[in-house]
Formats: sequence, structure tokens, C-alpha cells
Amino acid sequence: MSEPKIPVDLIMKKLAEDSEEVFKTVQKASDVLLGPLDTAISTTPCDIVYEEDRIKVKHYKPKTGVKLKTPLLLVYALINRETMLDLQPGRSTIQNFLDEGVEVYMIDWGSPTRKDKYLTIDDHVNGYMDNVIDFIRERHNLPKINLMGICIGGTFSVMYAALHPEKIKNLVTTVTPTNFDTEQGLLHIWMKTINVDRMVDTMGNIPGDMMNLGFLILNPARLMIDKYVGFLKNISDKTFVENFLRMEKWIFDSPDFPGETFRQFINDLYEKNLLIQNKMELGGRGINLKKVTMPLLNFYGKYDHLVPPGACEQLTEAVGSKDAENVCLDTGHIGIYVSSKVQKEFAPRIARWLKERDNPEKGPSSRGKPAAKATATVEKPGSRTSSPKKEKKKISA
Amino acid sequence: MSENQNEKLYPESLISFWMKSATDFWGSTYRMWSDVTEPFQPEGVKKQFQRLESVPKMWQSFFSTLSVPESVNALFKGMDVLPEVVLRTLQSGWVGYSALQKEWLEKASRMGKQSEAYKFEDIDKDLFNAWAEVYENELRQFLNFPQIGLTRFYQERIGQTLDRLNLFEISLSEFMKLLYLPMEKSAKAMSEKLEEVTKNGELSGDFNEYYGEWIKMLEGHYMVLFRSTEYIKGLNNVLEGGENYLSARNHLMEDILQFFPIATDKDMDELCKEVYLLKKEVKKLSKKVAGLK
Repeated sequence: MSEPKIPVDLIMKKLAEDSEEVFKTVQKASDVLLGPLDTAISTTPCDIVYEEDRIKVKHYKPKTGVKLKTPLLLVYALINRETMLDLQPGRSTIQNFLDEGVEVYMIDWGSPTRKDKYLTIDDHVNGYMDNVIDFIRERHNLPKINLMGICIGGTFSVMYAALHPEKIKNLVTTVTPTNFDTEQGLLHIWMKTINVDRMVDTMGNIPGDMMNLGFLILNPARLMIDKYVGFLKNISDKTFVENFLRMEKWIFDSPDFPGETFRQFINDLYEKNLLIQNKMELGGRGINLKKVTMPLLNFYGKYDHLVPPGACEQLTEAVGSKDAENVCLDTGHIGIYVSSKVQKEFAPRIARWLKERDNPEKGPSSRGKPAAKATATVEKPGSRTSSPKKEKKKISA
Repeated sequence: MSENQNEKLYPESLISFWMKSATDFWGSTYRMWSDVTEPFQPEGVKKQFQRLESVPKMWQSFFSTLSVPESVNALFKGMDVLPEVVLRTLQSGWVGYSALQKEWLEKASRMGKQSEAYKFEDIDKDLFNAWAEVYENELRQFLNFPQIGLTRFYQERIGQTLDRLNLFEISLSEFMKLLYLPMEKSAKAMSEKLEEVTKNGELSGDFNEYYGEWIKMLEGHYMVLFRSTEYIKGLNNVLEGGENYLSARNHLMEDILQFFPIATDKDMDELCKEVYLLKKEVKKLSKKVAGLK
């Protein structure tokens, strides 16, 4: 078999022609890289108002005045950090909520150490989350608060809302896996085959670096090659470099995952898919999704390779709420929170949806439709995927 | 003296050569992967590669002492009193070396034939199995040799740790090779394409275009690979290998640590579990008390 010949001479000629341009770029790049760079993340001012073990609760208050009487609690995932929601000015979900007059609390799960390896999902949901929600309810003298979950934090929020519906006014889930019986994402295929018991027995907490490596391997061509080629192409652009480094800072800042929580998550969810079938138990109590009766807004990304649409969209059908809506955005897992295009609509839309449901006197007939229309600017035609059945339910409600 | 006679008299040089070939083979596999990914590796991963590279080197330097005539002469002077087991070790090593060489020769003759775009189900398994088979059939038994006497458990755990480390490294090498296959396949497909457009005089001056095409092709290859049973098996093997090694290493560490006034992993785990349960109970009671108030 003859080996194909690469036209090296032509490539070299092309490189020589470009060399002057390359030299200029390198010179400019060195100025950028050696000069001062602003790569700080999570810069929106906040107060730490609650601490328990490794967790903290951050409190953000709108400068322009609170427009919603019910505060919003954000529950981030146990993978990576909540700083992603406040990556930088102009790309901050938190800042966008504040601009809309929403008072925000956010759980920082901290960094689990070996003493946290025995913590289960029950400890996170019925322990930490319940304590934080009681704290906020008491602080605001309110029976219920708004809850928004991100990824696994969303799964925890769904579990919480089913077990404590009396404490949650509105539920927003974003890129939240609830149905694990799908082959759309590689994680859903791989996780079903790993021996999680042996993994947790050996490692205790699952190292954050190991998980990060796993995520990189999901798409090495883009995440390990193309991304950095893109960086090199734009290395002389200071703003690009700053944004890129902020993202790198966030991505590789990964706390370990508490061992027993990981074991339960893989066994009960990825392998047995118990939650969506109303068969999951936490602390001896069964989770029945029909008890999620509060309004629900469920966001997911059309191109999400970690939590694909198939893992998210069944939730609105499974819950007991009559005011439940799916919103599919033309973006990926992280793009929902950091894409400049999506940012223009994402937080304002949630804020609008919450405002419409903030006054208990308002009937459900006055809501739903305006919110649905508002998505048109963000999504491509036909990308909004409320199921016809649910749509009908909503309209009739 | 003919070369054959030399080999008969100095089998040690063959063993040394064999170790060098084996370690060079795996060393270059690690390096090949780390060279490709080095600019993108976080520090922890780089360290891991350096560590992996050091293991075969360590083996190589150990066996290279056998090549020094003085030490070899001294060793073989006492050959007649060597226990039979050592002779068998050398014999097995020789058999393993022959098998490995045969595999490599066969592999070399298949070069260029194994790569077909977007197909991973017919991966040439012999490509991965050569070293694994030699290790498992010829060498592994000596690390699991039955131990006797007062220190038998300690010796067993040392042997087990080395055995698990070797198995882990074999599975990791196989996994790395598997991850490298899409690079090989896409590069070959791309070079064929470049050759074709050059022949037709259609070569574009914008190489970004070709890069974009290659990266897309590479992504496609990875997506097919990641869904293949071979990949899932390789992933599980490497995880299992790593976990088994960690577990054996932890047992060995416990043996060592018990001689020092330092808590072992097991001690710490027990303590952490007790603290966890106590805290949980205290929190539950505190809530009850707060409810009563």
C-alpha cells in the first residue's frame, strides 16, 4: 500500500508567505501575555450569610431595588463551581438577575474532603438544602421561596421540591438530568458500564481532576485541540485572551465529588433511572414527582452533550404541576450561562416568569403565553419544544 | 566465536535487549501521546505521564546491570547453585521475548493495513495483546509466587502491588493507543485528500479550511470510537486496573504506616465515618429541640 504524499513544499511555501504576519502576531501576543490581564471571576459583590460544614450561602442584593418579594435560591451542581454563574461583567447570570430586581441567594458547595466522603444525596437535599431554605424563609419571613437548580443541582432541586413542596413557590430547572434512560449523550452510555462501587470503595471522593479528564475525553478534538488552536489564533487579542483565561480558570477549578453521593447518583439514577419512575428514596422517604405542584420552568440545551435534551424534557410531563414548561435553547451545556447571545434573554426571561408568579392573587390564566412569545428572539424557529400535550394543558390552565 | 555461541553463553544480553525493546516500545507510546497532548495537559496529568515513563526506565536500568560483563560473570559463576526457580524465570523470560518479537514482526507486516476510516469494531486486537500476554503468561506468576514464613503477608502485598501496577500500565497503554487511533485514521484520510486535491491542482491556499475539515473528521472518528464496545471495554479495563492498583498500594501503605505513629487510611476512614454519623445525629436532635421550643 503506497503512503499518500502530503504536499509539504506547498505548505512550507505558504508558511513562508505568512511568516511576517506570524512574527507581528507573536510580538503582539507577547505584549498581551506579559502585560496586565484582568482574569478575575465571580466579582459581583456579595455577602456570606450562612455557613454549615463546607458549604456557604452567598447573598446578592440588587442595587436598583428589589422588584420581587420572593427571593431566588440558586443550587449549583457538585461538579465545578458556582462561579460560572458570575464569570465576568457582561457574562454574568447573577448580574442579569440583579438588573431585573431579583434578590439572589446561591449555595457554594465548597471543597469536599475525606470527612465528606460519607455524605449521601439525602444529606445534601434533606440536610444542607433544607437548612438553607429554612434560613432564607425565616430571614424573609416567607413560607415559600423560589428555587433554581443547575445540572445536578437541578436534580437535587427537583427531589427537594417533591419532598418539601410547601416550601417552594416556583421551580426553575436548567440543564437538569431527570431521565437517565437515554443514549443521546456519551455519559449516559459510559456511566451505565462503570463499576461505581469499586470506584468509590477505592477512591473515596471522586477526584475533580479525574472527572475533568473524563469531560475532556468526551470530545478531545474540540476540547483538547481545536479550543487551543482557537486560542493561538486569537492570542494577540487582549479581550479574547482574558475571556479565555477566565473560562480556563473556571473549568479546571474542580472540587472532588463526595464518594457516597456519587455512588448513589450512578446506581439510583444512571443505572436504575429511579427518579423519573417515582421509585427513588431519600432518607427512607419515597420521591413522588406528582408532588411537584408548583409552577415549573425547565430549560435545556439543544446541543448539550453532557445532559442531552432526552435527559431533561420528560420532567414537565412527570410532575404534578399544571403550569410546567419546557424551553429548549440553541446552545450547549455551558452556553446557557455564558453565551452572550443567550444571556440577553435567559435571566430576563426567568425574571419575567417569576414576576408573573410572584403575586399569589394573580390567576394562572394571565401567565404562560407572554413568556412563551418572549423566547422567539433567542431561539431558532421550531427550537422551542413544549410538547403539544403540555401546551394544551397550559393553555387550558 | 559465532554470534549464536555468544547468545548461548550470554543470555543476559538478550534479556537486557528484550527489556530495552519492551520499555522503549511502551515508553514511546507514552511519549507519543504526551507529545500530542502536552500543551493541553494540566499539571497533574503531566506528572502522571512522567511517573509512567519512569517505571519502564526503572525496569530497564535494573536489567541493564545484567549487561555489564563483570556483574554478569559474577552472577553466572554461581549459576550452578542458583535455585531452579531462577532458571525457570530466565527461561520464561526468553520464551516471552521470542513471543513478543514474533508479535512485533507480525504487527510490523500489518502496518498501514489496520486503519480504516470510521471503523473501530475490527480493531486488530493483537496490536494490544502482545505485551499483556507475555506478562500474564510468563512473568505474572513470579509476582504471585506463594510466600512462606513470618513475613509472608507483607511479601504477598509487595508482589500484588507490583502485579497490579503492571496490569494497570498495560491497560493504560492499550487505552492510550485506542485514543490515538482516531488521530491516525483522520491524519491518513486527510493526507489522502490533500494528495488528491494537489494532483487535481485544486489545493487551496487557505490551510484553515483543511484544518477545519480535519478537526471535523477527527471529531467524527472520536464519536464513533466512543460508542464502540472496544472503547467502553478499554475504559473499564483502565478504570479497573487503576482501582486495583490503588487498592493494593493502599494495603501496602498500611503495612508500612503501622510501624510509624501515623494514622492509616483505614483509621482515618473509620474516624471520618464516626464523625459523620455523630454530626448527623446531633443535627437531627438540634432540629427536634428547635421544634419543641
